[in-house]
Amino acid sequence: MGTLMASTEASVEATSKPIEHRFSPYDFNGGTVAAVAGPDYVVVAADTRLSSGYEIKSRHVTKLHALTNQCILASAGCKTDVDQLRSVLDIRGKMYQHNHRKPMQTPSVAQMLSVTLYGKRFFPYYAFNVLAGMDAAGVGAVYSYDAIGSFERTGYSAAGSGQAYVIPFLDNVIGNRNRLEEKPVLAAQEVVELLKDAFLSAGERDIYTGDQVEIMVVTKDGIQTQTFALKAD
Amino acid sequence: MSMFGMEPLVIGDDILDIGSRKAVDRYCGNKAQIGLSQDLLMGRPGAFDVPNVKDPALYCSSHFRSTCGTGDAGQEIKFAKGTTTLAFKFNGGIIVSVDSRATQGNYISSQTVKKVIEMNPYLLGTMAGGAADCSYWERRLNLQCRMYELRNGRRITVAAASKLLAGTMASYRGYGLSMGTMITGWDETGPQLYYVDDDGTRLKGKMFSVGSGSTFAYGVLDNYYREDLTLEEAIDLGKRAIYHATHRDAASGGINNLYHVTKDGWVKIHAIDVNDMHYEFEEEKRNEMSS
Repeated sequence: MGTLMASTEASVEATSKPIEHRFSPYDFNGGTVAAVAGPDYVVVAADTRLSSGYEIKSRHVTKLHALTNQCILASAGCKTDVDQLRSVLDIRGKMYQHNHRKPMQTPSVAQMLSVTLYGKRFFPYYAFNVLAGMDAAGVGAVYSYDAIGSFERTGYSAAGSGQAYVIPFLDNVIGNRNRLEEKPVLAAQEVVELLKDAFLSAGERDIYTGDQVEIMVVTKDGIQTQTFALKAD
Repeated sequence: MSMFGMEPLVIGDDILDIGSRKAVDRYCGNKAQIGLSQDLLMGRPGAFDVPNVKDPALYCSSHFRSTCGTGDAGQEIKFAKGTTTLAFKFNGGIIVSVDSRATQGNYISSQTVKKVIEMNPYLLGTMAGGAADCSYWERRLNLQCRMYELRNGRRITVAAASKLLAGTMASYRGYGLSMGTMITGWDETGPQLYYVDDDGTRLKGKMFSVGSGSTFAYGVLDNYYREDLTLEEAIDLGKRAIYHATHRDAASGGINNLYHVTKDGWVKIHAIDVNDMHYEFEEEKRNEMSS
């Protein structure tokens, strides 16, 4: 009903002023990503739908990218910017490995991502990132970013079109907000189930989220991937 | 790379910039001598990419602002911002008190942002305006302060540090950066407080409040500020001013982080949730009413 009312108002507006059509270098390709950090693991999840406007371009495109075997970058936004960002980070990661003879640690990747994003402050990457990995002490780390590199380490994070549906759920269940019981310590498998629930709910109300969820669990032994089907509507 | 006189010792990331259009540096004389077109230049690290339009500054300031309130309503990408920060000098040093909320449009992107940037044990910077702009440039300032210390064998003064930052901001004027920061510390001239802005403004002062909630904070500060406050009174004032600002400003909230700058460096005093403060002050009001 909300959309019907808006269109009648819009059609009156449409004839009263000229509309400027201009090339935009950005396209929003939709999707949601989320990550939760634990005492010795981190779980990252992302849907696999790629959209443009009202079209679904593909149902099987990954939003997760492993930068090292202990660190995953999850990005939603404009796919071409995300691809370029991943390329640049991979190159920088390889150079670091050649220069220092070891892979980059997650806190260093976090800072590198921040300056890479800020390097395009005047023509930003349209990418909303969540970085998840194991820190130097073997504890799970999740970092949330804005488009130009402002970042913060948090216990959990979500980004993309379904962010506003997933975060309140995680605030309550993971962050224990507005709850009176003591905060429980969750195992990796429990967090996986919670994230599946979160994406099911986001998929119900966000048109850009659906098809499939790809879930990666990172521990000190490496990365394990699983997929979970969502509604395709 | 040797034609520019720099011989990198490690594989540098400037090879990523080959073929890209970097912001033009009018003082780079090498380019004129060698006669290379801009497209063939090996990128210079530290120079920013700008959109390939006739007036990049205008494009950036109209499409990529991290401005306060709903000023970025028409933009495709909204950046993290919103805030109340304050700092004031008194006889016992300097109190710096900030909130911790970041907003992106109407969405609260974080309630736990560190808006006091601990640049080094004797210098503090605050963050107001664009979160990425503040954290990037203040981190850069930290690097410059450290280089100064290494080259000159002594710590940089607060006046000099704030001037470096103001100069950087002035050179990016018109590009849509948003930063309102207070640089504070205790150097050989005593406790110092400077306000630095994204258009290059640099003001020395005794009391500043910056951000969307600053007007509310000023109301409380102006009312109760005295130079001869005791430390407890000053901490209480800083705490209350932030509480009142977060109470009335939608873009401010979260946790009040409060620091005290002393001769021996800064000390973090407390991190209190402003909601807990609400109930504490309410209780106080009730007790006052009944007595």
